[in-house]
Order: sequence, then C-alpha cells, then structure tokens
Amino acid sequence: MAEQNLSPEQLKALQEKIKQMSPEELKEFQKKQCIFCQIVAGKIQSRKVYEDDKVVAILDINPANPGHVLLLTKEHYSIMPQLPDDEVAHIFMVAKSLSNSMLRGIEVQGTNIIVANGVAAGQRAQHFMVHVIPRKEKDGIEFVLPQNPMQQSEIESVGNKLVAALRGEKEQEMPSPPSKVPEPKKDEQKKGSSGINLDDISKMLGDR
Amino acid sequence: MAAKNTCLVCQIIDNSIPSKKIYEDEFVMAVLDVNGAVPGHCFIMPKKHYPIIEQVPDVEIGRLSLASNKISSAIFESLGAQGTNIFIANGIPAGQTVAHFTINVIPRRENDGVNLQWQPKQLNEEEISTIELKLKEQTKNIGHFEKEEKKPRAHAPKTMPLDEEEEEHFAAQMRRLP
Repeated sequence: MAEQNLSPEQLKALQEKIKQMSPEELKEFQKKQCIFCQIVAGKIQSRKVYEDDKVVAILDINPANPGHVLLLTKEHYSIMPQLPDDEVAHIFMVAKSLSNSMLRGIEVQGTNIIVANGVAAGQRAQHFMVHVIPRKEKDGIEFVLPQNPMQQSEIESVGNKLVAALRGEKEQEMPSPPSKVPEPKKDEQKKGSSGINLDDISKMLGDR
Repeated sequence: MAAKNTCLVCQIIDNSIPSKKIYEDEFVMAVLDVNGAVPGHCFIMPKKHYPIIEQVPDVEIGRLSLASNKISSAIFESLGAQGTNIFIANGIPAGQTVAHFTINVIPRRENDGVNLQWQPKQLNEEEISTIELKLKEQTKNIGHFEKEEKKPRAHAPKTMPLDEEEEEHFAAQMRRLP
C-alpha cells in the first residue's frame, strides 16, 4: 500500500489523522485503501463468476483448490458483525448456490464455506469475504480442528456468558422472545464484561 | 424419516442427548460443542434434518447465518476472543462428519491450535479459464432466492380437499410454469 513509501514524519501524521477520523471518515478512508473495493468497482481486474446488487464472487488468485471463490460484499465491511442482517442472509444464500454450482459444474465432491473475522482467525484482507472452497478426496488441504473436552464447570460458565450476551442482542434484533433470565441493560450489552470492542478488531486489520 | 432417528444432531435437538443450549427458536438451535476445538466453539443447526447445504431451503440458510453472526458477535463480546471463524463442511472430503447440516462458530486467539489455512495452488491460464467458464455456466441460474416461507396453497379450501389425482394434476400444472 501507499503507506510504505511515506517518510516517518508523513506516516506519523497519517496515523494521527486516522486516529481523529469519525467512524464515517474512517470507513471512507479504508474503502479507498481497499484492494477488494477496487475489484468490486472494476478498477482492478478479476475473474467474476457471479454478481448481483449486493455481492460479487471472484476466483481467488491464490486458490486453496481450483475453483476457490471469494464472495465479497459490494459495500466495505471489515468483519461480519458489521454487516446488516439482510446482507448476512443474502451472502450465505449466494454461498450455498455457489457451493451447488461447484458440485454440479467442476466435478468436486464437497465444499467448505469459511469466514475469518480478525487476524487471529486467519483474516488477511481488510474487506469482509466468504470463502467457498471446492473439495476432493486427498486434495492436500488439512484443516485442523482439534477436539478438546471441556470441564463441566467450564461448559456452564462459557455457555452462560454466551447466552447472556445473546439475550442482549436478541432483544434488539432477534425476532423470537427470550426466556426467563433477566435482560442486561442496553449500555452494558455493547461492550460486554471482558469484551473486546469490535471496532478495535476491524481497526487491527486496517493497520496491517 | 429413517435417518432422523439415528442422527446425532436430531437427538440433540429433541433433547434425547443432553447439551448446553446457547440459542433456540422455532427453526434453529445452537449448542456449545463440549468437545470442540476451543472453549466456546458452537454449532448452529436447523431443527429439520437436512444432510447437506444443497437441501437446506434459502429461508433457513438466512436464519442460520443470522444466528451464526449473532453468536460470533456474542463470542467477541463475552469471551474476549481475538477473532472468530464461521466454518461449514459439505461432504466427506470437506470434513463433514455428521449427516445433518451444521455451522461451526469458533472463537479464535493467536496460537490456539486451530488451523484453517491453506497453501495456495498454482494453476495455468488454461485451467483457470476452463474453471471460470464452467462456474459461470452454473451461476447463471443463481438468483430468485426464497427469502420468505413458501405459503401453503391458499386456493384449496379446507372443506373440499383435492383428491390424489387432482393433486397430481395440479402439481403437473405448476411444473409447467416458467
């Protein structure tokens, strides 16, 4: 990116400027810097295999397997929790259809659909995307999901934390009514007790 | 459905196998994977038994993906995770182990022993172009998502149920529609 050619003073000034930006300005800034926004806009060439009003699907230039597709929102979001509900539902319906297209069109026997939110989850780009990866037997891909039995006390504490956090969300966005446990207050919900701010997670990506 | 009785996930849903429930509504259930990759690993499943994603109706995909996103946000907020993965395996070569469609949501931290990375494969120009064409041929049909539940047939009045032959005929007519 352009930042690499800046002098230390210029870089510092830029960092200072970014810190003072409003969320809207920051989003606009990220968008200008984002290679995937330029792909969406057609300013950078790509091999598009599907497009509608909300999403674009392109062939990954560094594919895990032949036919690996990156499904991008046209709007710039860093991570999935920032997406509005209708876009979440839509992009997964398209991911399902792309998976079907692969099973029918390119002789594969399976697919993986993967989202990485945050650097720790393996996210490399600063633009939210869904990976749809065609799979065959012995194709050399080895995803490692270890199995670690949880202690009963841990199951309760982790489970209850998640339930409480979801009840907070559900009150605003989930359609079905929550059950008997008391609702957390609204201003507690956004941050959570030990929670990490989602903006920080997405900013970390911007810094890379 | 024969498969339903023996399906592990269906048994979790009907409570014959105990689980730690995280979320439940009319269509969707999410439970903690007590033998998961990391503490907080959840799986989200439709209550109806569908073996692979292709069989899951669009409207249910919408509900499941929304629930997964809410759970991912809840993981960030309440478990202090540095990241989350949404992971779906369709078919045995993709790592699917239970014949009931499931979405995994996995809290992530640096060096947590989970690896969903891959080595890029090199393809030549001809291979890429062939795949592009084949996929485009298929994706032409994408669209017309059923974002709402299919309405039950409103025009057949309850007092006069269609007999089987009429129903056959009705279905045949429907199939002729573009």
